[in-house]
Amino acid sequence: MHDDLDPAEFEDTARAVMASCAGAADVPARARLLGEAGLLGVLAPQATGGLDLPLRYAVPVCRTGGQALLGFPLIETLLLARLLADESPDLATGLVAGETLATIAWTGVVEDEIVGGAPVARVADYVLCFRRDGGALLLETAACTDLDETLSIDVDTPDAALRPGAAQVAQLDVAAVARLRADAKILRAACVHGSAAQCLELAVEHAQGRVQFGRPLSAYQALRHRLSRDALAVETMRNALVRALSEPAEGPAFARDAAWLGAAQAGPGVAESAIQVLGGMGFTWEVPLHRHLRQMRTQAVLGAAVEGLDDLAAHLLNGSNSPWNGDFHHVA
Amino acid sequence: MTASSALQTAPSGRSHAAHARDWLAENLKGRLRIDRAHEIPVTLQELVDFEVGMHAAGLAGITWPRAYAGHGLTLREHLEINREIGLAPVPNSVNSIGKELAGPIILAICNETQKAEYLPAILKMQAIWCQGFSEPGAGSDLAGLRTRAERTADGWRINGQKIWTSGASKSQRCLLLARTGTAEDRHKGLVLFAVRMDTPGLEVREIRSIDGHRHFCEVFFNDVIVDEADMLGAPDEGWAAATRVLSIERATNRMYRSWRFQSELEHLIDACRTDARAMALLTPYSRQLAQIRVEVELLKGHVETLVETLLSGGQIGPRGSFPKLYWSESHQRFAQIGWEIVSRFPPGVDGPLRDIRARMEAVYFASRAETIYAGTTEIQLDIIAGRILKLQKAA
Ligand SMILES: Cc1cc2nc3c(=O)[nH]c(=O)nc-3n(C[C@H](O)[C@H](O)[C@H](O)COP(=O)(O)OP(=O)(O)OC[C@H]3O[C@@H](n4cnc5c(N)ncnc54)[C@H](O)[C@@H]3O)c2cc1C
Repeated sequence: MHDDLDPAEFEDTARAVMASCAGAADVPARARLLGEAGLLGVLAPQATGGLDLPLRYAVPVCRTGGQALLGFPLIETLLLARLLADESPDLATGLVAGETLATIAWTGVVEDEIVGGAPVARVADYVLCFRRDGGALLLETAACTDLDETLSIDVDTPDAALRPGAAQVAQLDVAAVARLRADAKILRAACVHGSAAQCLELAVEHAQGRVQFGRPLSAYQALRHRLSRDALAVETMRNALVRALSEPAEGPAFARDAAWLGAAQAGPGVAESAIQVLGGMGFTWEVPLHRHLRQMRTQAVLGAAVEGLDDLAAHLLNGSNSPWNGDFHHVA
Repeated sequence: MTASSALQTAPSGRSHAAHARDWLAENLKGRLRIDRAHEIPVTLQELVDFEVGMHAAGLAGITWPRAYAGHGLTLREHLEINREIGLAPVPNSVNSIGKELAGPIILAICNETQKAEYLPAILKMQAIWCQGFSEPGAGSDLAGLRTRAERTADGWRINGQKIWTSGASKSQRCLLLARTGTAEDRHKGLVLFAVRMDTPGLEVREIRSIDGHRHFCEVFFNDVIVDEADMLGAPDEGWAAATRVLSIERATNRMYRSWRFQSELEHLIDACRTDARAMALLTPYSRQLAQIRVEVELLKGHVETLVETLLSGGQIGPRGSFPKLYWSESHQRFAQIGWEIVSRFPPGVDGPLRDIRARMEAVYFASRAETIYAGTTEIQLDIIAGRILKLQKAA
């Protein structure tokens, strides 16, 4: 049914909705706007009011969200609405409509009695918490305690730590959580891609408008080359996403990890570079570059990018299965 | 049996990848393997014979029309086969200029007679080509080249000098870029030729490079006479054709690069795993190596996206700069790390450690050229700034 839909058109629609969200008062207001536009149900089954589309359609939604500094748990809502549709159809329907708010505590496990990295948990009705065995529990946020978002650096979508309460609403098995995490890597990479692309755009615009020594900054090769490197970083993110969503010869898992780890690594660098290009203006609270930097740095933590790199390192040290090295004798 | 009837492609029902894998496992042996340190280096003739075999097996000339000894497939199969070439320790082609630069340009601008003469000879390794673009006074600023081509009664007379011409001393033909007017004409009046390297008046001097090889050369042209029949395209088409050559070079040349890069990294780790002392040297670099491994995957993203663009009829244009820039710098970082590891192996190591040490040394020195040839890093950055970001130079 979705063969006639173009993800690029989705991107235009999404961008318009994100723009209208900029004027909304708070998270619930944004939820209603996004829900009315149908963006929250992109992945959810039709029974919940969703569109039941494949993951690649959620990419432009998250990309434009990242670009617009949306201030909404977009990745969490998109994925939970799909994931909870069977077990808690009413809840999923509420998420799709933007009437119910849910989030995910991306760091820590319930067993430790404190979890963290839960975007906008303060206003969310539900929070998904992971368990040590790889499963997850959906809890009522009202029953959780010690909610604290003071450590968040993200000013648009502050994430919170909290102590999980006993009011359990649903339970997810290991396979469901594994899929959730895998899909989140793609959507996070999309968010960072949008955020970095926006920083590059702001830097390019400034460099062409600002005159020093009688010429626009964009005339100076040091800045031209800096911006070119940032363009390379952004293009690398775009192409990595395209590849991860295609059917790469080597299978999707590593392409997905690379898209995410690459974005997490390079995205903040583009914001840092843009701050440099804007000079003193770049260091002001008013210019949104720091908010992008905060958003991307936060995503890197929630998506466990450093841990992911270390996991890959450990995996690499186990050796390859290249037939050309098959006669090597490995020591322990 | 004629040569063309001996051409094999993947038998029906088997993937091109599986066919390539099997052929390489069977034929890539001994001194041909670039992942082993050899007492006696491989000879040019051995390399030529191997490439003749690759072509016959369907591993080269993949996208060229069958009429010119090609295999008539698409870039998709080219990519599929090049993945396997990259993952195996296959030597770089000694005729990559012929196969990946001259060939595509000949297909694009030459007449039938020329195509029939030049193209099959490239794939059958009867003519190795070199690229005579750079000059002592014209490197990054290629449009400043001075080599003159003057019309004679039945052709052209060439005078001038080329430099850094890779493989010139082993070549039969030179893809020469020269000008009909004066250097002030810049991009106008440039013309491409296929010059026979044995033409009187043409002299080649090898230059020793930092890796100890004598591969690139100076080529001198003193009243070298070239037939009209060896002029490629129209006079004045030279710059457009040359730019196209360079954009192809950046984007599609040695498409196996990402996979070769991957296999070098895997070789380094697999070799170190054979010795606890080597492993102790490698382990502190594990996060950096993981980062490199991610970059290899991201490079594949660039390459595969460009292939998709070309397959769907799109143009690459300046976007060929992205993979060139990304690959060359990432590969240099890897080469530095690799060298730091293998250079501290204990003295007297043998077997896999000796092999990887020799390979990383070669990769390290060779990688220094990767940010210079095919347009330097600075030139790639200029291209992105000017043609992709379209940054203004004046208010
Ligand atoms: C191994 C190897 C093989 C080669 N093979 C061939 C071949 O087969 N055929 C062929 O024709 N050529 C070949 N080349 C030549 C290659 O294309 C040139 O070396 C390259 O284009 C740079 O030119 P140059 O050496 O004259 O350096 P230059 O152009 O003089 O550049 C020197 C330095 O200045 C920088 N620079 C130049 N202009 C600018 C600018 N506008 N802004 C900022 N920085 C600038 C460059 O980036 C570089 O770092 C080969 C080179 C190498 C290293």
